[in-house]
Amino acid sequence: MGLRLRFLLPLALLLTGILVYPLVFAGWISVHDYQLTRLSDIRFTGAENFTDTFRNPNFWNALGNTLIFVLGAVSLELVLGLALALLVQRLDRARHLARSLLLAPMFITPIAVGLLFRFLLNAEIGVIPFLLRGVGLSIDWFGPQLALFSLILIDTWQWTPFMFLMFLAGLESLPRSPFEAAEVDGASRWSQFLHLTLPLLRPVVLVALIIRSLDAFKVFEYVFAITRGGPGTSTETIQYLIYQTGFRFYRLGEAAAMAFVLVAVTLVLVFLLYTVLRRS
Amino acid sequence: MNHPNPWRKASFLALTLLSGTFTAAAAEINVIIEEVPEYDIVRELTAQFEAEYPDIEVNFDAMPFDAMRDRILTSSLAPSAVYDVIIVDNPWMTEFARAGYLAPLDERIAAIPGYDFSDFLAPLREIGIVDGTIYGVPYYNYALGLIVREDLLAATGRGAPTTLDEYRALARELTTESMAGAAMQPQRGYKIMEEWKNWLYAEGGEVFNEQGEVVINSPEAVAALEAYIDTYETSAPENSLNWGFDEALRAVAGGRAATMLSYNWMLPTLNEEGGIAGERAGRFKLYEVPGGKAVLGTWSWSIAANSEHADDAWTFISWITSKPIEKERVMAGGAPVRRSVIEDPQVWAEGYGEDYYTTLVGILEDAAPLARGNGAEEVINIVGTHLNAAVAGQKTPQEALDDAAAELERMR
Repeated sequence: MGLRLRFLLPLALLLTGILVYPLVFAGWISVHDYQLTRLSDIRFTGAENFTDTFRNPNFWNALGNTLIFVLGAVSLELVLGLALALLVQRLDRARHLARSLLLAPMFITPIAVGLLFRFLLNAEIGVIPFLLRGVGLSIDWFGPQLALFSLILIDTWQWTPFMFLMFLAGLESLPRSPFEAAEVDGASRWSQFLHLTLPLLRPVVLVALIIRSLDAFKVFEYVFAITRGGPGTSTETIQYLIYQTGFRFYRLGEAAAMAFVLVAVTLVLVFLLYTVLRRS
Repeated sequence: MNHPNPWRKASFLALTLLSGTFTAAAAEINVIIEEVPEYDIVRELTAQFEAEYPDIEVNFDAMPFDAMRDRILTSSLAPSAVYDVIIVDNPWMTEFARAGYLAPLDERIAAIPGYDFSDFLAPLREIGIVDGTIYGVPYYNYALGLIVREDLLAATGRGAPTTLDEYRALARELTTESMAGAAMQPQRGYKIMEEWKNWLYAEGGEVFNEQGEVVINSPEAVAALEAYIDTYETSAPENSLNWGFDEALRAVAGGRAATMLSYNWMLPTLNEEGGIAGERAGRFKLYEVPGGKAVLGTWSWSIAANSEHADDAWTFISWITSKPIEKERVMAGGAPVRRSVIEDPQVWAEGYGEDYYTTLVGILEDAAPLARGNGAEEVINIVGTHLNAAVAGQKTPQEALDDAAAELERMR
């Protein structure tokens, strides 16, 4: 065995142990009737779990909810994160303080954020409904119309700082000369933003969007802590459905099949996002 | 030269070995338990157990409810148990017993003279019996009762509601601008199922009939759901569609709701001087749920089938559930499971009074588990999802229950 291969071997073994083996095992489970409470009765079922997944209305509902969540949350975070980065970039003295303060929500564990907002938005004891009542507004944050949107807002509160951090780093590393030339040519601020800042920032936007979208696809904690997927199935996300199927009802084969379909959908979406942003 | 005596050497060696043997004899048992006030009482009593049985050390792993099922599962699938003693919630009992996670207890129970298994109230002890074998001994009950603000009830001139219609009328009458007549818990899944099933019983309905057929979309069930939704719309706090136990309790304790269907042992908590209800402490009273038949929850003590310390685990379980220790637990504030303890005047005097325990016996004697059988957890989730959709106005009661019935059929 060559020296290079010998150096690679530990890493290859480690990756096999923590990545390849679980994936292969999950693949094996997904084509079996694999129930944790009936391990002595595991049967090969072929593609049955996958066909069941495609026929399962709850799966498509959860996937739809997840897509709306990802699209809503990531779009809001993109716009707000960029706006905040542009504002903070202009600050001289308070920039470091502002940066530290704005990053704070990111360091709270999502389950704690979920519980925090469950009570902050509680109609009886929540501060936010109390303040809104003061101006004559009564909003049912977790009612059938708004529940998913409320979860989007919570995610936006927690993860806009990530976008902000990425964009601020991107803005600070942009070359000065194109902006100076645009100033000399009399370009307006808006024009500079549209024709210089955004195109130059595109690689950062692409990376930030992909990272946040992948992360947002994993949304689970807010649903678990606040709505449990309700009202009805309005906020049931795909991760929550997979968790319920696999770990509450112990039907691991079905849950694994759902997870593989989710991986396929995610890969397609990331590929599309990457292609569109690169072309534009 | 001073040679050591060989006998002295041998004696020293023997003593060393013996002392080592005695030290190693102390066994440890690990107990998975839910982190609730009941656990505090059990933990305190366990100090007494360890003094009586110095060879057994009891380690508790207390955790929130949501973490328990996963941890029990992983421990049960391991070659050797992480947890020797498991507390099992009633919807899990059949599933865990049939999966082979729990050890049978019949012979162990029969071997203890005076243990008196029949002293546990029948609906509670039957939860631990699966296919004719005992797998669990009752730990504490969480049967539901109706908790009412007595001062507000008296002001209406009405008596305590005994039927659903009386309860609905009372809740409507008690509802004002600043007071909800009923703090309800229509959160999707477990909570709404736990609450609504009392309404279902009151209307004479069931989820499955005696033959095991799905009957959740019966006219009785539809009537129960219509009544539930009507009360939610007219008497529950505004925007409380995702409310669970915590929110309802806070509303009642805070004087913003007059009644709630909740765990019977919330009454002492609400009436505790200096407790969560503040100046309203002492004004709450427990009644049987309208209709009389209540949803029953019970946690049971079980031994993991893969435990290497099953004998020590049983020593602990049989001790903590014995008549004298159960009495101590209940007098310290625990929820009773033995008839002899509930009916003991000393318990009444040192506990929460005769009135509370008498009402509790009435509740427990006519109570039925939230769900039983394989897949009970999923049944609760399926029904709880469709009920919540109906309360949210996404489906009519008939549609919601038809959908629930269809999904239950598919599941089976």
